[in-house]
Amino acid sequence: MSTAVGQAPQAGDGTADSKRSVVYALPKAVAYAAAAFVVVWVLFIAGDSPAGPAVSNPGRFVVTLLDAITFAGLLFVVASGFTLIFGLMRTVNMAHGSLFLLAAFVAINVQHAMLGKSRNIVADEVGILDWVVPMLVGALVAACVGLILQQLFLRWNQGQELRQALITLAITVIMADQMLNHFGGLALRMTWPGSVTHFIEILGQRYATTRLFMLAVAVLVGALLWLWLNRTRMGLVIRAGVDDETMVRALGINITFVFAVTFFVGAFLAGIGGAMGASFAGAATGSDGDWLLNSLVVVIIGGLGSIKGAVAGSLLYGMVIAFAPAYLPSRYSFYAIILTFVLLAVVLAVRPYGLFGRPA
Amino acid sequence: MTRQLRSPTTIAFVAVVALLVVLPAIGSSFFVNFIMTRTLILGLAAATIVFLSAYGGMVSLAQLMLFGTAGFMFGNAVLEASPRGLNLGWAPWTAVVFALAVATAIAFLLGALSSRTTGIYFLMLTLVYAVIGYNVFAQVVPISGPSGITRITPPPPITQATHLYYAALLLSIGGYVVLKLVARTPFGLALQGVRDDPVRMASLGFRVPLHRALAFTLAGFIAGVAGLLNVWWNGQIDPASIGISPTLVLLIVAVIGGISHLEGAWLGAFVYVAANSYLRALPFVDRIGITEDRFNTVIGALVLLIMVLSPEGLSGVIQRLSNEGRRRFSRFSSRDGTGRVDTSGDDAGESPVVMIDSSTSPPTEERK
Amino acid sequence: MKQAKTSGRRLVASSLFALALIVAACADDDADAPPGLDDSEDAVDDVDDADDADDDVDVADDGDDEVRLGILGQCEGPFGGFHEDTVAGVALALVNHAGATVPSDDTALDGWEGAEVNGTPIELVGVGCGDDTPDRILAEVRQLVEQNDANVVIGPLSGDEGIAVAEYALQNPDVTFLSGIAGSQEPTLEVQAPNFFRFHGEGAIWNAGLGDILHNQEGWETAAVIADDYSFGHTSTAGFVAEFCGVGGEVTSRVFPPLGTTDYSSYIAQLPDPDEVDGYFWAVGGTGTQAALEAFVDAKGDLTGDQHAGNLFFNPDLAQALGPDIAGAYVGGFASPPGDVQMPAIDEYLASADETWDSLPTGIAGGERADASAAASFGFMYGYYSAGVALVDGLAETGGDPSPEPLQSALGGLSVELPYGDIALDDNRSGIVDVFISRLTVDDESGEVVQETVALIPEVDQTFGGTFGADTPAPSRDFPPCEERDLPWVGNAIPVEDGVPQQ
Repeated sequence: MSTAVGQAPQAGDGTADSKRSVVYALPKAVAYAAAAFVVVWVLFIAGDSPAGPAVSNPGRFVVTLLDAITFAGLLFVVASGFTLIFGLMRTVNMAHGSLFLLAAFVAINVQHAMLGKSRNIVADEVGILDWVVPMLVGALVAACVGLILQQLFLRWNQGQELRQALITLAITVIMADQMLNHFGGLALRMTWPGSVTHFIEILGQRYATTRLFMLAVAVLVGALLWLWLNRTRMGLVIRAGVDDETMVRALGINITFVFAVTFFVGAFLAGIGGAMGASFAGAATGSDGDWLLNSLVVVIIGGLGSIKGAVAGSLLYGMVIAFAPAYLPSRYSFYAIILTFVLLAVVLAVRPYGLFGRPA
Repeated sequence: MTRQLRSPTTIAFVAVVALLVVLPAIGSSFFVNFIMTRTLILGLAAATIVFLSAYGGMVSLAQLMLFGTAGFMFGNAVLEASPRGLNLGWAPWTAVVFALAVATAIAFLLGALSSRTTGIYFLMLTLVYAVIGYNVFAQVVPISGPSGITRITPPPPITQATHLYYAALLLSIGGYVVLKLVARTPFGLALQGVRDDPVRMASLGFRVPLHRALAFTLAGFIAGVAGLLNVWWNGQIDPASIGISPTLVLLIVAVIGGISHLEGAWLGAFVYVAANSYLRALPFVDRIGITEDRFNTVIGALVLLIMVLSPEGLSGVIQRLSNEGRRRFSRFSSRDGTGRVDTSGDDAGESPVVMIDSSTSPPTEERK
Repeated sequence: MKQAKTSGRRLVASSLFALALIVAACADDDADAPPGLDDSEDAVDDVDDADDADDDVDVADDGDDEVRLGILGQCEGPFGGFHEDTVAGVALALVNHAGATVPSDDTALDGWEGAEVNGTPIELVGVGCGDDTPDRILAEVRQLVEQNDANVVIGPLSGDEGIAVAEYALQNPDVTFLSGIAGSQEPTLEVQAPNFFRFHGEGAIWNAGLGDILHNQEGWETAAVIADDYSFGHTSTAGFVAEFCGVGGEVTSRVFPPLGTTDYSSYIAQLPDPDEVDGYFWAVGGTGTQAALEAFVDAKGDLTGDQHAGNLFFNPDLAQALGPDIAGAYVGGFASPPGDVQMPAIDEYLASADETWDSLPTGIAGGERADASAAASFGFMYGYYSAGVALVDGLAETGGDPSPEPLQSALGGLSVELPYGDIALDDNRSGIVDVFISRLTVDDESGEVVQETVALIPEVDQTFGGTFGADTPAPSRDFPPCEERDLPWVGNAIPVEDGVPQQ
């Protein structure tokens, strides 16, 4: 068996190439066909699904689409920090979920302290500052902890990807245990500011402005990130570092400092995501793993290290999460969560490094 | 061959095996049937992680999922009147074959799907596989559902706990020998070539993705064997058995032992299982503020310490200690900024000490 | 040369490993093999080894002049914050009923001293540390029984763990098991281990009374259910559906979002609109309780409390960011009722907790320190307390004899006097319990949402008038079906006013 496997193909180069392109074209064709089928299904068929085909129930379709996009906003904020750190430093920060949860807990506690109570909080009592300040404090705490972790444990082993992944994994285990100890096991929640808690009508369906606010924050974060990376000297250095770190070093740039800043910003983004996630879905023991996983799925789809990929990955993943339970036939809707796998399989069959990724 | 038979390695190997064989006569029932049986099962499963990492440059988090898949399939196939599962009521050994076939087939499919990714991408992708596996068994009620499959017993000749211990021992030795031998076959050598320089191997005409997929399949098969032992030992399996935290535990076991030494898998498993059972009994742990309910902090700190000191795990530490003693001033000092351990002294074919970093990026892109 | 060096390292490695093995094996041997406990005695063995009977008699002869008690708690996972509560519950039972004292007034994990029933001492041999998974609790219980030689085990805490421990009990008939607060049906209904006793209710029982009240009193004809897609969600739903449909209501839709769902909007969309259904029953826990309710508000409209009911997850302490709109919702019961229920036995029980400890770190206070009575009034600690009291009563019945046969037969016939209502066991050794149904209301003074007890449903048993039995499937997404049936307690609800049952 092994010899057969190891044998070099005897055919000439041309044949091998055409064979290869056929082999790779096939999954691509299947992927496009699958995508087309999904679109047709959702728009016209969707028989026996909870939502029904989009043409006969356009309101439900639009709302599901909005759900997908707004949730994708949250996914993007969380995953962007993960992908930013990887893009420059090749560090897979498995502690990303822990930083998310830490920021969430800190933000919740700060909000409770600002409001002077921890129960029966009504959105109307929550001013915009009562939300923004806790978010920034939580994110700063996460950023500082992230920076300390980077300086202590990751600075000196730059480039050893697996070792760094395992180190951050160990940190995750410790942080999860300590957070359970300090914040308890109960689910906690942050309250959206009252000024954004309204409802609008969309094609006869009620829709919450908090979800649109979440998307707005995500767009703002994305825009600031884009400006930082594209309009500042630091951003320039980072983008150059992503492409060719050695060259950047050779130019006499203090890349160690750039690394620290990048890690700080990445952890800060996890923290912003933590506060948003705590407002949207709550925070409890185990949320860290869930959100690490969400980040992983997003970046695997979009491509590690690419901000564009994080946008695309968030959107696709958000779509599957929103559409699968609504448009699968009712008796299969319990299997919606498994559809994520189909999405991954389709993407990986076409692009092994994700939509916008490239080999290390 | 004769030289090998008399080599200290072989002697040590035989000594450990001999000790393990007579252990039931000298150890307590709990130590043999709980600690050691669990060590052997976890070790065998972790060895597949080590195999893929050391010879294929792929650190897989999907091994526990395959391990669990075999267990679930066995339970579904063998039971007749269980409250959950398919209750196929097949003969036990048919069920064994079926379970291993399913685990192997899934391993092949997943291996093929991820065969074009390596290193850190592979790690993340297999983590996603693991979570999907958890979701499949939690959601698809006919084959398990959230409460899992209970009341699974081992097939006929294994009727006592010590039988199970010997089965685990036998299969561990078997797994170890198979994985070692495979590494020396042309396939194994090609696999190591693929690990070190996939581009060159591809241009030499080797089918890189196929090698990776087949290695993953073999590892999946052996993980399935360990998974069978596990359900026989544990009597039940449920989706949480293959959830994210036991998945990470298996990786931690491999890391503690040393992710590039097959032996390390069992060493790591022993350390993990023993720490889990005995650490809380030590008198001083309370005094330094660590009670058993903060056990995860201790495990996390242990892994962190190992990864900081030596990415080669305990086997690496041991190796380093003996090395240091042997030739204090010589080439070991060549551990440079990247944390590489010089291994030029190793017999490449037999003991490939893969660098924990080199497996992911071709040497040309090495960072200094 | 090279070869020799490599081998040398391996030699060192192997010998170290071997040395560790020997040390561990021997240490274990000395410390943990008590006289009389045959090495071959273990789970797999016991199933079909008839010769083992001799050994078992041995154990009874030499070993069992004391109770070697193991406790199964949870120190990790979602209920990790309640680890101390579990030990505290048992310790308090022994303080109140077996003359024990506690060595520390600010932690329960140090156990107790001097517990004794009719001259038989009760010693704590270990506290198992679960993480809410069956695998882990099996490892912990094996350690307690096979290494620490426990002959009585109190625990576990959660439902799926309960199934695993009951199965283990089935294979170890000489160890007596008292469930801590495991809320699944299967341990008693389906596994039926003769040595597994449960002096508390379970997920279905705790929702008895809701269907009757909602249909006959609040006039709900139709209801929709949304619950976590795992055993506790299914079991809670089963209790609600069995009774609501039993008295003539109709459940029009059941939605089960998977555990770990972050965005509930797609699942909420599957529920009927508020004008299409009379009410909703919720059994979504963890972060999901509030996330799902908020998604409901986002898509379906503001909450009107009297259109909602929930299982015990509808606790105002957990639902801290819902605002007062939820007031009016009915809430199923748990092992212990809300704090407003007033009875002398309860005051005495809570006072005894405060006398025993100054404060305890408890899950109910989010891991912060709180008065011991705060922990004691919550179902987790109370479930373990009930088990502890039952053990003491059982031992008193046997005259202090802890050997398996007399103890187990004594436990099976007990009716245990407990502060929140006496508990007897059914034929499957599961508790027949009183369930307190409550409502969320706005407190006039503080304006906060509080929980007010409205009814006591006496003597609920887990068969639900024959709906559930050993032959029926376990509760699932579609079991039980919605059909009319007679439930013994319907119409017997005792109203509770200002915390006092109106007998």
